Amino acid sequence: MTLPTENARRRVDVALGMAIFIGSWSMAFLTLFLSFLIIRHRQPVWPPAGVTLPSLPIAAAGTAVLLASSLVLGSAVKRLRTGAPGFAARWATGLLLAVAFAALQTWLWTGVWSAGAGPDSSMYAGLFYMLTWFHAAHVACGLIALLWVQWAAAAGRVTAQRRSTAASAATFWHFVDAVWLVLFVGFFLV
Amino acid sequence: MSGDHIHPEPTSFLRKYIFSTDHKVIAKQFMWLGFVWLMVGGTMAMMIRWQLAYPGKPFPLLGNILYPRSGGVIPPDGYNTLFTMHGTIMIFLGLTPLLIGAFGNFCIPLMIGARDMIFPTLNMLSFWTVVIGAGVAFYSLFVPLGAAEGGWTAYPTLSSNVGTPGHGETLWAIAVFFIGASSIMGGINYITTVVRLRAPGMTWGRLPLTIWGLLFTAALNVLFLPVIGSAMILMVLDRQFGTSFYVPATMAQGGGGDPILYQHLFWIFGHPEVYILILPAWGIISDILSFFARKPAFAYKVTVGAMAAVTVLSAVVYGHHMFVTGMTAMLGESFMLLTMIISVPGEILFFNWLHTLWRGNLRFTTPMLFSMGVIFVFGLGGLTGIYLATISTDIYLHDTYFVVGHFHLTMAASSLFGAFAGTYFWFPKMFGKMLSERLGKLHFWATIIPLTIVFCTMFFSGYGGMPRRYYDHTDNPYTNELQWLNVITSVAAFVLGTAQLIFAWNVIKTVAVGRQAAQNPWEVGTLEWTVPSPPPHHNFDTLPLVTTGPHEFSNPAIKDGRDWIYQTEPLAT
Amino acid sequence: MVPTRSRRTALAALGALAALALTPAAQAADRWKPNPPASSYGPMFDNLFALITLLIGVSFAIMLVVLLIPVVRDRARPGHKAKFDHGNSLHDKRFTAIVSVTVFFVLDASVLVIAMQDLREGFWNIPKPDTPDVLQVEVLAQQWAWNFRTPGADGTFGTPDDVVTINELTVPEGRPVVVNEASKDVIHSFYIPDMRIKRDANPGAINEIWFEPVKSGDFDILCAELCGYAHYQMHGKLHVLPAAEYDTWLGEASRIAQAGYDASDTEARWAWEFKGVAGR
Repeated sequence: MTLPTENARRRVDVALGMAIFIGSWSMAFLTLFLSFLIIRHRQPVWPPAGVTLPSLPIAAAGTAVLLASSLVLGSAVKRLRTGAPGFAARWATGLLLAVAFAALQTWLWTGVWSAGAGPDSSMYAGLFYMLTWFHAAHVACGLIALLWVQWAAAAGRVTAQRRSTAASAATFWHFVDAVWLVLFVGFFLV
Repeated sequence: MSGDHIHPEPTSFLRKYIFSTDHKVIAKQFMWLGFVWLMVGGTMAMMIRWQLAYPGKPFPLLGNILYPRSGGVIPPDGYNTLFTMHGTIMIFLGLTPLLIGAFGNFCIPLMIGARDMIFPTLNMLSFWTVVIGAGVAFYSLFVPLGAAEGGWTAYPTLSSNVGTPGHGETLWAIAVFFIGASSIMGGINYITTVVRLRAPGMTWGRLPLTIWGLLFTAALNVLFLPVIGSAMILMVLDRQFGTSFYVPATMAQGGGGDPILYQHLFWIFGHPEVYILILPAWGIISDILSFFARKPAFAYKVTVGAMAAVTVLSAVVYGHHMFVTGMTAMLGESFMLLTMIISVPGEILFFNWLHTLWRGNLRFTTPMLFSMGVIFVFGLGGLTGIYLATISTDIYLHDTYFVVGHFHLTMAASSLFGAFAGTYFWFPKMFGKMLSERLGKLHFWATIIPLTIVFCTMFFSGYGGMPRRYYDHTDNPYTNELQWLNVITSVAAFVLGTAQLIFAWNVIKTVAVGRQAAQNPWEVGTLEWTVPSPPPHHNFDTLPLVTTGPHEFSNPAIKDGRDWIYQTEPLAT
Repeated sequence: MVPTRSRRTALAALGALAALALTPAAQAADRWKPNPPASSYGPMFDNLFALITLLIGVSFAIMLVVLLIPVVRDRARPGHKAKFDHGNSLHDKRFTAIVSVTVFFVLDASVLVIAMQDLREGFWNIPKPDTPDVLQVEVLAQQWAWNFRTPGADGTFGTPDDVVTINELTVPEGRPVVVNEASKDVIHSFYIPDMRIKRDANPGAINEIWFEPVKSGDFDILCAELCGYAHYQMHGKLHVLPAAEYDTWLGEASRIAQAGYDASDTEARWAWEFKGVAGR
């Protein structure tokens, strides 16, 4: 079976569509993040006394892993574009790091949850779950996209001439990464 | 041009009519969806008007089926559900699919000279996402305790579990989320298509104004639907997971949320939403007025600039919805000033429309009548907006029928008239059959006269001090004195509702036995009229080469006796 | 062609139906405009409303004329041609600019200036608490009633002689009344049409408004924000009494309040913590 190759024009189409999507969906995150800041500003003390704080080391480790996955995926796409070898290995590494981030996030939640702090236990917990759950929904979508590319690459359908899907998946993952950085700094550090 | 957007014509029924990626089929799907929901929402309006004019009397015909326990009388909670769902349905499932889904999908590729949308699969997903949203909204009507009752604005804490228990309000939020997601997908597609797929020679200055209107709407969709999506997420978390983002500390343990936060989020989306609905209508009528005045659209660039200015300003005026919620004087006065400023581009659009008609050669076809109808009703609605933009008069008029009259004229009636104009105009291209002009003109007059009575009477009731969303205005002596106005409004509303049957009959009859439409029955030059009615699967056998603007009517350079020229024909110089 | 006779019958039937449907309207054509203003700043609303009506009435009339002239004069007919004009000349642009700037200043800016003045002198010119004569009133809205509290004869809140009423508020004529409002449950909106006053009562925050009744009599209080099932039944009465009568009324009401005071009934003392609701 011969595959149709995409031309340069199509790649720009897809990149533009993706850029508009990310610009648009940033508004959703921005809304939630601003709501978080406004509600936080209304609380007399932050974090409130007596709430279960999510583990900062786990969150920091997750952030590092997520950053690494984004860098590796970026390098994979660059290799795909320039035709240098090593795309598949890098993509697989990036995917593994992405899964590791999801695992660390799950660990982060179980730590809070097992201490009996559900979303209804305090405003702090509510905001924590709201921000991380919404982000996690995007992590899940991103993982599916990364897996899809991995599978397509294994079937030989990702090449220098057919790289829009891989590039879009990586772009989406960079977006997920960037959003997490903002959330991490905003929620855990400041 | 590369041929990479050509996909083979599907042969199976499922791929051809249900999960089609053809923009023309998707446009028709959106159109039928819009018509069906307009009918549902319209019936709800009739029920609302019945209860208001004749409180406590059983609703004829449908009453005993829908409200058997009260003997056909609409109960107060049922009434609250009715106006909540009427607003939601009309905005999200009636006008949005019709104006943006149907005309956006149909017009954009055909008018810019493309073979399809740039992302056909995304386009299909956009339709089926709105179907999911519509399904959830429909299902919510049948859950215990009923559908949403918090008004289409769904202010907390009424929309929290405290105010509206049950799942109706949650399902409402989920439905709005899905419908919003659909609009975002559509918006991404529209913008990318217009930027990337314009035919050779289709410069920005040669785009029909319809496309400009749709493009600005797409930009607003892409920017502001995510905001309401996030607001809905917070609401669902509050309702289902026990958080209290919108619930203040006085009402809930561990609270400390802010009900006013929701109002800000809602109106940051909600005010642009008004323009999301009206911009496509403005674009459509800007074209149609020129087409049937046989005269170029007056000051094309100024019209585009005015629409762009409205688009930008729409993001910064939302505070005028919240003058009585308790904002600081500084903020209130700033929003008042900004709201006044947004009227300037609006005025400029009016000048340009009126100027387009001036010394034209006016053909009073049905699309033309409805376009002139937009000038009339939007003029009424827009000018009365000044009372509401002015804080000191808004304090008295806020949340009265004055507001109901104002936004129905601007957002609802104007958009609907734009949609009707578009439907009569493009129907021959979409379906290859001409709607009856006789019935169309009858429909126009039978619509605009009662419509004006309905909403102008509302101005009087609002001025008299009648609050909106009351189940029964005879319950207290103050509004009881204004009840007679309710009766007039309702009787006119019933006439208005009945008049829409003319349109339904016209559409059904035409689809069934209508006469074949010519390729270019209106004698206009935009690209969709250069192809047969209905257009073939790939629209254009060879991509058109555009040489002329869309509105070169009565140009003296046209020598062959016509007063119009196709956009693909060069003008003799 | 429909025979004339049956057409006449149909018209008659339609007319009869319309007459029947409109009967309730004809029976009670009471009022189509607000009652005359009963508060000190009320006339500001009525004057500005009249001014806007005049301005937009003229604008709309001009628009209709400009719309109707081409409808009559420029309709398509054999031999008639449209004037070819893109409207892009400098002259056209100048015309549009001049007209829109004029309309903005005549229509919008003038209204804006008057409105700002009215807000500063009237609607939002809330008297300072230490102004003599000011009567402080607290309103706690709930589904579906208004709770009112006025200080008793001693003039201070939080004492056993506070007068607490439901749906009935009594105030003196000619004294500024400052209303502090909040809500127990959902958002309500405190609306006295005859005073030209309206403000939302929010849960978790206090809104402050004021009015000065200049007429004695009974006025309706309505709820203007959707608040659930019985929103339409949430209404009360404002009694404005001449100063002397008010003092008599207050003396008696405080005496009754004091006699019925029950220290263990914390629910009845909602207003004592009222100021603490939003951390004020």
